[in-house]
Amino acid sequence: MSETTTANSHSPHHAPHEPPKQRHWLLRAGWPRAFWMTGLFFLLGMGIVVGLRALGGYEPYLDWEVVIVVAALTMAPLGFLSGLGAFDYWVSYAIGRPTAPEDHSAHGAYSWKDYFRINTDHKVIGIQYVTTTIFFFLAGGLLALLVRAELARPETDFVDTQTYNELFTVHASLMIFLFIIPAFAGLANYVLPLMIGAPDMAFPRLNALSYWLLPIAGVMLLASFFFPGAGAGWTNYAPLAVEQPFGNVFFSMAVQWAGASSIMTALNFLVTIITMRAPGMTFWRMPLLVWANFTTSLLVVIATPFIAASQFFVMFDRVMHTNFFDFTEGGYVLGYQHIFWFYSHPAVYIMILPGFGIVSEVISTFSRKPIFGYRLMALSLMAILVLGFSVWAHHMFVSGMAAYLRVPMMVTTLLIAVPTGIKVFSWLATLWEGRIHFSAPMLWALGFVTSFVIGGLSGVMLGAVPIDIHVSDTYFIVAHIHYVLLGGSLFTIFAGIYYWFPKMTGRMYNERLAKVHFWLTLVTFNTTFFPMHLIGIQGMPRRVATYEERFGDWNLFISISSFVLGASFMIFVYNMIVSWKSGPLAPANPWRGMTIEWLVPSPPPVFNFDEVPQVVGNPYEYGVKGARHAILNGDRAAQVEPVRTQ
Amino acid sequence: MRRGAIVALISIALVVAAVTTAIAYFVDWLPEQASEERQGIDLVFWVTVAICIFFFAVVAAVSIYSGVKFRVRPDDESDGPPIHGHTGLEIMWTAIPTLCVTVIAVLSAVVLAQNDSPKGEPLRVEVLAQQYAWQFTYPDQGGIKATNLYVPIDRSTKLVLRARDVLHSFWVPEFGQKQDAVPGIVTTLVITPTKTGEYRVICTELCGLGHALMRTRAIVLSQADFDAWAREQPQGGGSAGGGDGGEIDAEGIFTANCAACHTLSKAGASGQVGPNLDELSLAPPAVEQQIRRGGGGMPPFGDQLSDGEIEALVQYLTGSNE
Repeated sequence: MSETTTANSHSPHHAPHEPPKQRHWLLRAGWPRAFWMTGLFFLLGMGIVVGLRALGGYEPYLDWEVVIVVAALTMAPLGFLSGLGAFDYWVSYAIGRPTAPEDHSAHGAYSWKDYFRINTDHKVIGIQYVTTTIFFFLAGGLLALLVRAELARPETDFVDTQTYNELFTVHASLMIFLFIIPAFAGLANYVLPLMIGAPDMAFPRLNALSYWLLPIAGVMLLASFFFPGAGAGWTNYAPLAVEQPFGNVFFSMAVQWAGASSIMTALNFLVTIITMRAPGMTFWRMPLLVWANFTTSLLVVIATPFIAASQFFVMFDRVMHTNFFDFTEGGYVLGYQHIFWFYSHPAVYIMILPGFGIVSEVISTFSRKPIFGYRLMALSLMAILVLGFSVWAHHMFVSGMAAYLRVPMMVTTLLIAVPTGIKVFSWLATLWEGRIHFSAPMLWALGFVTSFVIGGLSGVMLGAVPIDIHVSDTYFIVAHIHYVLLGGSLFTIFAGIYYWFPKMTGRMYNERLAKVHFWLTLVTFNTTFFPMHLIGIQGMPRRVATYEERFGDWNLFISISSFVLGASFMIFVYNMIVSWKSGPLAPANPWRGMTIEWLVPSPPPVFNFDEVPQVVGNPYEYGVKGARHAILNGDRAAQVEPVRTQ
Repeated sequence: MRRGAIVALISIALVVAAVTTAIAYFVDWLPEQASEERQGIDLVFWVTVAICIFFFAVVAAVSIYSGVKFRVRPDDESDGPPIHGHTGLEIMWTAIPTLCVTVIAVLSAVVLAQNDSPKGEPLRVEVLAQQYAWQFTYPDQGGIKATNLYVPIDRSTKLVLRARDVLHSFWVPEFGQKQDAVPGIVTTLVITPTKTGEYRVICTELCGLGHALMRTRAIVLSQADFDAWAREQPQGGGSAGGGDGGEIDAEGIFTANCAACHTLSKAGASGQVGPNLDELSLAPPAVEQQIRRGGGGMPPFGDQLSDGEIEALVQYLTGSNE
């Protein structure tokens, strides 16, 4: 927030002597204030707990488990956010102080320090998101390598069982909640307003707040190692979750913070897309990335409250002695799974639809052809959105749920392969007779298509109930999820990062290193995960630290592959850091793209556009003579050309 | 589309299909088949794999052909032809996959219905899953209890599953069938073994520290051998490894309840989850309290074992025979 105004005051401890032009460094929004306010709010939370328990006569008054949930996991993060300045504007408004007018002084980043402040510029927030999520990606990847180190030999020889269970739990949770979902939100945060010709997101302050919830969630997940207990898998099934050591509440609360962030961002995207499109940008002229984020955001706002509920119930069963899932007191164990998967199945589309959007942009641009069947592409996204809510119980075919649910859920599950298939075939048809440039973003996009086809086909196999009954909870499932989430989502994230890196940083990355990164990742990804299909069908269950001798050779091979796979990401990190510092300067439009983000300089000016862009045609009119998607800077020449609509 | 392109596409698709079919055929994908239910599962598996190979070959052919044929020459700045879509093609690639998944769905539904229903009058076995052991009770054989699953060949067995603490899941890869045991509700599973032999019973639902070791054996016997086995077992009531009438078999109790997690050489147990009992020497009261109340990750056994059984177990573990 602005440092030049006293109006955005929040703290009641106002400096009495003078109204200073610049407030005391301890009272100013920023890290020092965040530091002491975190402590203050922790003490407040502790006071509430001790006070209420003393009032009610509950011994002992100081119950550390309750204190940690209320003070450390709820109040302290709020204190941190307040100290950093995330609530300054709203608090001033609420208590009747003059609010700081939005003078855009909090826009733009002029040094690395600006990335560590509350910043309302969608471009800064986008970069904050992407770098933070890559940090958690590396942390989650490291945990995966520790899992593989344990699994290299059949015996339990590297970590103890509780630690092992936490390794795979936190690995999966970090990758899902702190990497894939927010990485897509970050990329879209940067490019989506540019693509629709908007100066920023609809709610810039909300945008800043939703970013700053993420580090809180990530630190909480990692901290669960020190209060052991997040060892029930990322699905955190009750009643095992309730039986876990106390640290399980860190998992539950981290999911709340990440989920809140996700919901706020989704609302922001929805309002931005619906209300802030440039003149001429009808829904049928939106780039597919915008369509993808529109459907994803709908999924997020409808589904995410369900996982919040499931984690609250599990935590309440432990801390408040409710009986949601305690079967001895009439609780319903399967209820957890139904609520959990009602979010977590749509969540797999939350984790792939934005990737579909990125891949559509990249394949069209690098094939120099319009995307094939644009409207069917958009409609298939909507079909996935609707069908996605009717398939959750396919995660529960062996769970003991009502038997009649299995066939209808199988039918919807298999049907959802159809719109997904439409997308794959349309991408292939876009390649046909194109002028294909095999630059790094395109390589990742094509690598995605092949990996995702394999993951999609194993998904069809899992959709068939009899096959699912045999392979559920085995390494076949582990193989399937990594083909769709690593070969799927991660590859599209790399495609997106390489594609927009010049736009975001104003510099080009090293193409040779990017290609080495791609090929090394593609090969070791397949050698790591393809054999898992086999050992899963053969009889190796997932989530075990020790297994039968006969799977030893395959597991050793998988572990060695996974170490090389892990190393391949170091090439990416090196390339990003060095290129951002000293890569060659990027032109405005290095890929000769047609969408609006390529019409502004790289990186774009602080306010994106000097004048509002005028959208005059479809976004992918490659090969159409004289066609334009949008016009900027008084460029009227193109307007006389006839504009083709599909 | 030129004829040459079609010929090239079909040839690439055939080569890819041949290679993937060879991988499917020559690699031993499925474990040994030992139940009628697995026959149905395997049928669905191979039909689906065939359909998957078809689609994979189509996708691979188009990708490989495009990657080679439409790769841009250096310095070619031109655009491709502005093809926006093709309604016929789009209808085709909506209709054909819909047809294929319908085939899979119908076949799966039929197989599922078959696998759910026992052939003839089934043998009933009650399965109790708990951290980290299996217990099988035969109500129609006078309430025999066993820690291994003994079943006769060529006759359906209906498993009635219960869980005492958390979720568990019963799976024998050779039988194919799998079912969670859920605390608070009763679930069932039908298996009809077709081959005598010994197979592994695996818990596949994460159930805590001893999950990986929650294993036992499924032993398929001829009907005559099964009857003979059933006659030899002490009848009724008693818990695993011991009847309530005669001498309590402490080693049997240990094997059934403790061996999954603890190492104890005299019982031939090598569990890795809990402390190694060969290296531990505790006073009998401490051992008894640990068994009754659990703690430190170990579940309590106070309400699962009788006082006599706990006493026998403590004596067995501490070597104090008073």
